[in-house]
Amino acid sequence: MKLRIKLTLFALFSLQLFSYAQEQPVVSGTVSDGSNVPIPGANVIVVGTNRGVYTNFDGKFTINAVKGEVLQFSYVGYQTKNITISDNTTYSIVLEESASELDEVVIIGYGTQKKSHLTGAISKVVNEDLDQIAVSRVDDALVGQVSGVNIQATEGEAGSAPTIRVRGTASISGALSPLIVVDGQVVGNDYLGALDMNSIESFEVLKDAASTAIYGSRGSRGVIMITTKMGKEGKTRFTYNTYTGYKRARQSDAYYFSVNESAQAELVATGSLSDRTKYKQQIGIDEDWQDIIFTGGIITSHSIGARGGSKNTKFSISGNYTHDEGVLLKDDFKKYNLTLKIDTKVSDLFSFGANITPTFTYKDRFDGSTHDILRQAPWLPIYHDANTIQYVNRDVYPDVQIGDYAVQRHFDDYDLYGNGSSVSISSTSNTNPAAKILERDRTEDRFKVYGTVYGQFNITKGLSFKTVFSGDFQNAKNRRWQGVQASRNGAAAAQLDISSQNVLHLTTQNYLTFNKMFNNHEVTAVAGVSSETWDTEYESVRGTGYDSDLLQTITAATTISLAQSEEYEKRLFSLFGRLNYAYKDKYLLSLSLRRDGNSALGPNNKYGFFPAASVGWNVARENFLRNSDVISNLKFRFSYGITGNESFNTGSSLIDNYPYLALLEPSTAVVGGSLVSAFNPVNIANPDLQWERTKEINPGVDFGFFGNRIAGSFEYYNKESDKLILYNPVSTTTGFSNALVNLGEVRNEGYELELTTRNIISSDFSWSTTIIGSKNKNTLVDFADSDGQILSVDSKRAAEWINLEGEPISSFYGWVVDEEISPEHILYPYHPVGAQASGVYVKDLNGDGLIDNDDRTILGNPYPDLLWSVINDVKIGNFDFSFMFQGSHGAQVRNMADQYLFNHFNSTQQYDPATTPNQGFIREKIFTNSIIQDASYVALRNVNIGYNFPRDFLKRTKVFTRARIYASGQNLMYLTEDDYTGFNPESIRRTSATTYGYQLGGSPIFSTISLGLNLEF
Amino acid sequence: MVFIFTAISCSKDFLEPQPTSAVSEEGYFKTDEELESGILNMYDGIQGTNDRSTSSNHSIQYEFYVTEMRTDNTRGKGAVDSDADQAQFVNYNIRATNGIVADYYRSMYNIIYRANVVLDNLGVASDANRARFEGEAKFVRAYAYFNLVRLYGDVPLVDKVIAPLDTEISYTRIESSIIYDFIEEDLLSAVANLGDGYKNRASKAAAEALLAKVYLTIGEYSQAQTLCESIMKPARGFSLESNFKDVFYNEGNDEVIFAVGYEPDLIKDSQGFSSEWLNAVGYTAGVNYVTKEMRDAFDQYGGDRTLYSIRQDVIQPSEYQVAKYIPNGDENLGIAPIASDPRLAGNDWIVLRYADVLLMHVEAILAGAEATTSSNAIASFQEVRNRAGITTTVATITKEDLLNERRVELAFENQRFFDLLRLGEAQNVLSAYATENGYNFTSTTLLLPIPSSEINLSKGLLEQNPGY
Repeated sequence: MKLRIKLTLFALFSLQLFSYAQEQPVVSGTVSDGSNVPIPGANVIVVGTNRGVYTNFDGKFTINAVKGEVLQFSYVGYQTKNITISDNTTYSIVLEESASELDEVVIIGYGTQKKSHLTGAISKVVNEDLDQIAVSRVDDALVGQVSGVNIQATEGEAGSAPTIRVRGTASISGALSPLIVVDGQVVGNDYLGALDMNSIESFEVLKDAASTAIYGSRGSRGVIMITTKMGKEGKTRFTYNTYTGYKRARQSDAYYFSVNESAQAELVATGSLSDRTKYKQQIGIDEDWQDIIFTGGIITSHSIGARGGSKNTKFSISGNYTHDEGVLLKDDFKKYNLTLKIDTKVSDLFSFGANITPTFTYKDRFDGSTHDILRQAPWLPIYHDANTIQYVNRDVYPDVQIGDYAVQRHFDDYDLYGNGSSVSISSTSNTNPAAKILERDRTEDRFKVYGTVYGQFNITKGLSFKTVFSGDFQNAKNRRWQGVQASRNGAAAAQLDISSQNVLHLTTQNYLTFNKMFNNHEVTAVAGVSSETWDTEYESVRGTGYDSDLLQTITAATTISLAQSEEYEKRLFSLFGRLNYAYKDKYLLSLSLRRDGNSALGPNNKYGFFPAASVGWNVARENFLRNSDVISNLKFRFSYGITGNESFNTGSSLIDNYPYLALLEPSTAVVGGSLVSAFNPVNIANPDLQWERTKEINPGVDFGFFGNRIAGSFEYYNKESDKLILYNPVSTTTGFSNALVNLGEVRNEGYELELTTRNIISSDFSWSTTIIGSKNKNTLVDFADSDGQILSVDSKRAAEWINLEGEPISSFYGWVVDEEISPEHILYPYHPVGAQASGVYVKDLNGDGLIDNDDRTILGNPYPDLLWSVINDVKIGNFDFSFMFQGSHGAQVRNMADQYLFNHFNSTQQYDPATTPNQGFIREKIFTNSIIQDASYVALRNVNIGYNFPRDFLKRTKVFTRARIYASGQNLMYLTEDDYTGFNPESIRRTSATTYGYQLGGSPIFSTISLGLNLEF
Repeated sequence: MVFIFTAISCSKDFLEPQPTSAVSEEGYFKTDEELESGILNMYDGIQGTNDRSTSSNHSIQYEFYVTEMRTDNTRGKGAVDSDADQAQFVNYNIRATNGIVADYYRSMYNIIYRANVVLDNLGVASDANRARFEGEAKFVRAYAYFNLVRLYGDVPLVDKVIAPLDTEISYTRIESSIIYDFIEEDLLSAVANLGDGYKNRASKAAAEALLAKVYLTIGEYSQAQTLCESIMKPARGFSLESNFKDVFYNEGNDEVIFAVGYEPDLIKDSQGFSSEWLNAVGYTAGVNYVTKEMRDAFDQYGGDRTLYSIRQDVIQPSEYQVAKYIPNGDENLGIAPIASDPRLAGNDWIVLRYADVLLMHVEAILAGAEATTSSNAIASFQEVRNRAGITTTVATITKEDLLNERRVELAFENQRFFDLLRLGEAQNVLSAYATENGYNFTSTTLLLPIPSSEINLSKGLLEQNPGY
């Protein structure tokens, strides 16, 4: 085998030399558009050869070609044109603008497919101006770009990942974020935070099961395929892209409790001011803590690239630096990214390529919870000054000085009237809220590198073999220093945590691709094998016993209070195959099958089969429509497939990797002052655990009217996922709280529309509009014994969720508010927060005259019914203008921040048992719909105005081939429902899918205004 | 192609990597050593987890909430700082959703599970060790059931390792009397199979003392008396520490019969309750604070013990806190810090000590009567009082005398609630205390609710206690 390759290579190499030696005549000409404007950068190739060039700045080209050969001219947005060389040696080529994208190629798993032959639901987003959106992660820029995909800013810290769902929530314990494939390699979702948008060519989102089934057990959550840019033959092109923006947080008026406003309210209600209120006013401070922790910040990005290549070798090199200061106090995100990519065609028989992308990200966290800080009193300063120091209770705090952090307790026992009486206003013994953030340092550093080497052998015409070896490595290092002033406990609580995790993921793929056209039949087939391994090592150490902030190292700790290390392995072995068949480009068929074997599953169910089939009919190509002026494209599709979900998160990596084994972990006890080691069973083993299975049908239609002036697609899907993997609560009498089981079924059913209209097309004015809409309905179809299960996230604030068949996976559950308790019945209605009772009268739903558990009902759910976006692109001369409105409707959140900020659990805000009527009808607000709020929003997501410097001007510079300046804005308008009190309706605290929709302050939505520049030379 | 087929044929091994950071139970528990690691694991279960996670088993680290805080001994420091779950124990407004109630229930069943793992694998033990292993596991299981039955009433009886589908066992509440029979049986086996020696592991004395308390609870006084007297034999080596402070600050002393071992500054083997009882040193602002009623009791009956039982809060001088188990030292009391981070305290938790046995001896002789003049009872009673520096002798001991003595001697050791129950005074004493303080006490408050999470999972099989 080896020898044969060598011989072939030698033979090819000789041939190559020979071909160079040959004299070839030259053909030249110009390429221009319909209005005679030259097209620079158009691709000119001699069909069937490796020869190809680009047109120069004036649209001119020269290429070696002889009579009889076919020249092909192509350029993005224009129809490709072929001419056969005659005796002429100069040609004037006019390319016609193409509204049609029929010949566009779409990346699918282990190959590509003509868009016109697609039979599944795949959306493609080409990076035209996504890189001009001033966000530090690529997924943040995809919001609203694809139907059926919900990208939600659930955490707003700089660099933090949004939540992505393709076609709803189809799993409960399993992974819900789509599989990410970069240039054919499966990588962790984390990579979306490490990639550089400037080096991305396009995104393909595989949505239906027939499209994703080639990824088998990882297909049910959708697949995002990312293709990075590659050089083209010709002169090396350099690009420099940069922007700088300012980010500003959205604040909540409801969460600002001004001392003076509260005092006014009290005065109006009671006719006088309480001592506490008078004292608070006397201190003279009225702080909005939102101003202190929502600091705003600058975001900057610089990206430089060089792409080009020769006939046989093409390369792409790019580097990026992004710095996002975030909008929170102390949060910060830096990203360094380098991409090297090279492909070379050694001969017609063999080509190979390699790429490597190392990235570093550094993240400084806002190490606190906004709800915890914002519930602090507005009268509290950050630091003591000459004014506030006089209120300090010197009996208890003799050492407090000007410049020290102020703490609520300092202000207690104050003699307001100078008569020996005392008034206390503290509502917490916590340290100053700003100190919690400023005196902590929490960083997350990531080094990631992924790389691929491939070789491709063209065995015979139409049959090739590709072998790919790829790997990605990630080191995640987390460090958290909690300084001596970070908590009320001082130095005793100072502590350093350091952890490091290495994950090495290696993949080998070997597959054959067969492609043949005979007569009207076109067949593409793929068959292959792949194996993947993940090796994880985790170490962590905690140091305590620091006297000062001076040395923040483990070495400086007097005690190591925790040190641990763990390792685990996971493996996947797969066989896959696909057959695509097209007859006359009209009748389409696609079949695929994958068999996955997974190390995390027990011997009984280690392997799974994932078949799919889809058909399509290009009606527009039938004779009766071929000449239609109205219908330019019409294709009906139908697909069916079975996919799986293989991952789950129990909170223990060991259980996640070996759930079929009964595991014993080391434990320790103390006997006679010494540690003794023991072993503790940590899970209920499930040797029968198997994949979650998703069966999905997806009829769809692609259409284009009036020369594709109106074009789009419409999908319907019904996605039924069963055998859900659940880390299900079990009776604690078993010794455990949860067990992994396959249970239940959930259905996601919906519609998707993508519609683009080219409203105006002319050489100096064009306007197009894209409308994207997705509707999804989530239903828990079967939940076996767990039907009707009531859960809570946190036993301290035990608001309830119900998982009820016929309803969405999780619904908010509780009592329905009837009316507020009058302030006169609240113990201390104006302290610490004005007129906020902790309880509320609720409705006796079953009318039995009393309030009990039977009066609880479903109060809403956290899943949006409708997501939409409208994108407009306008080009006038050298100016371009685009904007996107995006909205989400029908989701609710359980806004626990209200509970905290309004101090609903504070006993001073409880009703007075002595005077309050109908106490049996009162329930705490967290158990009611009092804090269930509508999370719908409409946002002006992006606005972008750009100016392209005219060609004449660029020509005079003799350097630049393209120059553009632009201004862009994100979330310049963001509307929420009136009853929403928080600052980010998209924020959701991470919980399980059965208790989803818990909002606890979180990070605010922010708006960004940025200026940018794109240069090409 | 060859590669492909090779890959397929070796895929079986490829797809079954063995864990390297954990042991698979299959193939474990084959030797005495392995079984003993299961035994030691029971004590790890009693230790509980020293963290704040609401899903952890905090075990006895949260026991004071469900016992001491429900009595007239302690309360939460200030109403303003009260945190919903914790405050419920003080004002007797406990809800079935209370996380601490669920935590304790879950923790005790987890300990029972750990004991059942040992008992189910007892077959592999060598003849030399089998009896000892059995006794030890049964002691621990009985200890957990005794806590459960007293706090929750009728509870599910799990006497082997069960699976999630064994719902009939999980959700059937077994009558208390049967639970007590089961406890008695386990402890009799422990008494028979164990010897003395350990203080942080089960011993014969520990089993006897626990069984004596079980007998007192179910009214089998003479059997209780016999057991106490067995422990009181000088040859057994138990005696009162001459200095009350040393009981708590000199670990492993002769007074200790059974204590749960902790080590400072180690997250996995330290305890957190010591710091929670101080002013904002733990994660709470201060819980298990001394009530006014308790201070009065110390003024009247405390003697030398008061100094090492309660102390004034420096930050809030009107408040008093517990002085037993101080983690960060007290110069005035001559107590050195035990941990550099008080939240990682290393103070052992005493479950059974000799003074308790002496007072149980009195109680056994009292045998449910209102008073006793028995010289044996008086001798035991006086022994405890002498150590406290209260040397005036008494001629009779009333039930009230005994309760008061136990209250100050065993203050904050999670005994008061059970003492009141056992001596039939819980209703009187606690309702009077509640009325005085504006809390809402009813007769159903004496039993904790079955955690609502269990009720919800059982779908109606598991019945709630009255009043919840």
